Amino acid sequence: MLLSEDQEVQDAEALTEDEVDELLVEEVSIDGMCGVY
Amino acid sequence: MSVTDERVDVPARDFDPDRAWRVHPQVALRDESFGALAYHYGTRRLLFLKSRPLVDLVSALDRFESATAAIEALIPGNERAQYTRALARLAKSEVIDAY
Repeated sequence: MLLSEDQEVQDAEALTEDEVDELLVEEVSIDGMCGVY
Repeated sequence: MSVTDERVDVPARDFDPDRAWRVHPQVALRDESFGALAYHYGTRRLLFLKSRPLVDLVSALDRFESATAAIEALIPGNERAQYTRALARLAKSEVIDAY
């Protein structure tokens, strides 16, 4: 049985580098917002 | 892992950490609780910088002779590779440019 803390460690290790990088930078497309104006 | 590793997903020629970089003149940064918004008025790209250290790093780039020097001064050793990739990502989106 895993303690919740152990599970969190496993989850963090399961992240790929790309996913970790997404935690720092995320690009959002705003093209679809044209109709808002 | 080196900063030019293929997993950076950016051609090495696009981001040279040994060059001097700055926030692109057409980019506005707006502080947010999570970090900052970066909007490029030329490309109309909007990016979230989701870490205060990353915002501080990007804002301070023009005070250093290279991105590497800025990273070494502002980012702890065990996080430098990640922040270097973040800068490469920002260079790809033209949030920062070499000068």
